[in-house]
Amino acid sequence: MNRIISISLIVAAVSASSVLPIQPAVSHHSFAMFDRTKEVTLVGTVKSFEWTNPHSWLQVVVRDARGGTKEYSIEMGSPNTMSRSGWRKTTFKPGDRVTVKMNPMRDGAAGGAFVSAVNAEGKTLPLN
Amino acid sequence: MLSKTNIAAAVLLSSLAALPAWAQMPDWSGVWVLEGGTLYDRTTASPPDARAGDPGARQHPPYTPEYEEKYKRNIAAVAADRFPDPITMCGVPVGFPRVMQVVDGYEFVVTPKQTWILTENGPNVVRVYTDGREHLSDDVIWPTYTGDSVGHWEGDTLVFTTIGLRGENGTIVDRTGAIISDQARGLTRLRKREDGRMEAQITIEDPVALTRPWTVTKTYRKLSGDVRIMDYACAENNRNPVDPVTGKTYTLGPDGKPIDVDAQKK
Repeated sequence: MNRIISISLIVAAVSASSVLPIQPAVSHHSFAMFDRTKEVTLVGTVKSFEWTNPHSWLQVVVRDARGGTKEYSIEMGSPNTMSRSGWRKTTFKPGDRVTVKMNPMRDGAAGGAFVSAVNAEGKTLPLN
Repeated sequence: MLSKTNIAAAVLLSSLAALPAWAQMPDWSGVWVLEGGTLYDRTTASPPDARAGDPGARQHPPYTPEYEEKYKRNIAAVAADRFPDPITMCGVPVGFPRVMQVVDGYEFVVTPKQTWILTENGPNVVRVYTDGREHLSDDVIWPTYTGDSVGHWEGDTLVFTTIGLRGENGTIVDRTGAIISDQARGLTRLRKREDGRMEAQITIEDPVALTRPWTVTKTYRKLSGDVRIMDYACAENNRNPVDPVTGKTYTLGPDGKPIDVDAQKK
């Protein structure tokens, strides 16, 4: 039987100004589907990391209290810009335990815009 | 009587004399990034820390009443996630003046007869002809995204005008929903400042959309280290397609299916 892993799903309302410095370099589409006044913290496991244009995507699987799982699609920047900030295509590997903050989708869907992440050791990514 | 050799030498010498001196061109080499975000006119933004795309975010161009109303409708559409960014369709340039304020890297390539403004987040190239030619003639020019740019050097400042724009037909100024008309004309003064930054002072004159010239200054910071421009393709793995009917931007999961709640209900 699968061990139930404790999860935390925290929704915090924060002011828009406080998230200004960490705007991802999202470029090719409207960002209106994400609520940038809110941050959601996901604790889960990396399923995949798409290092790709026009945007990289982090897929994170989160367990709920009943043992079910939900996969989140988290949108990041282009490899071009991310690589200049220390990100690598190996920064996230399948199976990595991560805590990710994102601006959630307004409609409550399992997705969001990346804000920040820490690894299992509690270190902020990227490590470079 | 001149020999053929003498004639050839004379032609060569005269062409050499006509060549502008590379050594006199300013050094704008390197990779540069926009400062201050992609809201076009930061000085009139409300709220002051507004970001393009935030619901309700706007600036205050000197719009005519007609274009102020259009802008308000666009702002409402942005807030409702029903204002698709034209470039979301992938493959079209962002257009002038927005080309001067995109994310990712910039290159300003100076040659004696042309200067090229290249954006990594493409496909955008502004070609500024400085060889003395005029704008395209009226019987040739047609509205394009980037328009037609010709200019000249005033010391180390490149001064160029841009005409032949699509205006609100397929371009926006930024994601607040700001637009200009196809009658807009740009006057840009591009230079490297004493503090090492590139600066573009852009003045838009638009007899249809604006009551007076609209001047905005954008700056660019040079990146250090092993920085190079990399390939960028919007269509490479576009997980945010736009519904052509509603204008809604969908978000796709890794399986290519929308994860949006309303798409799940269908």
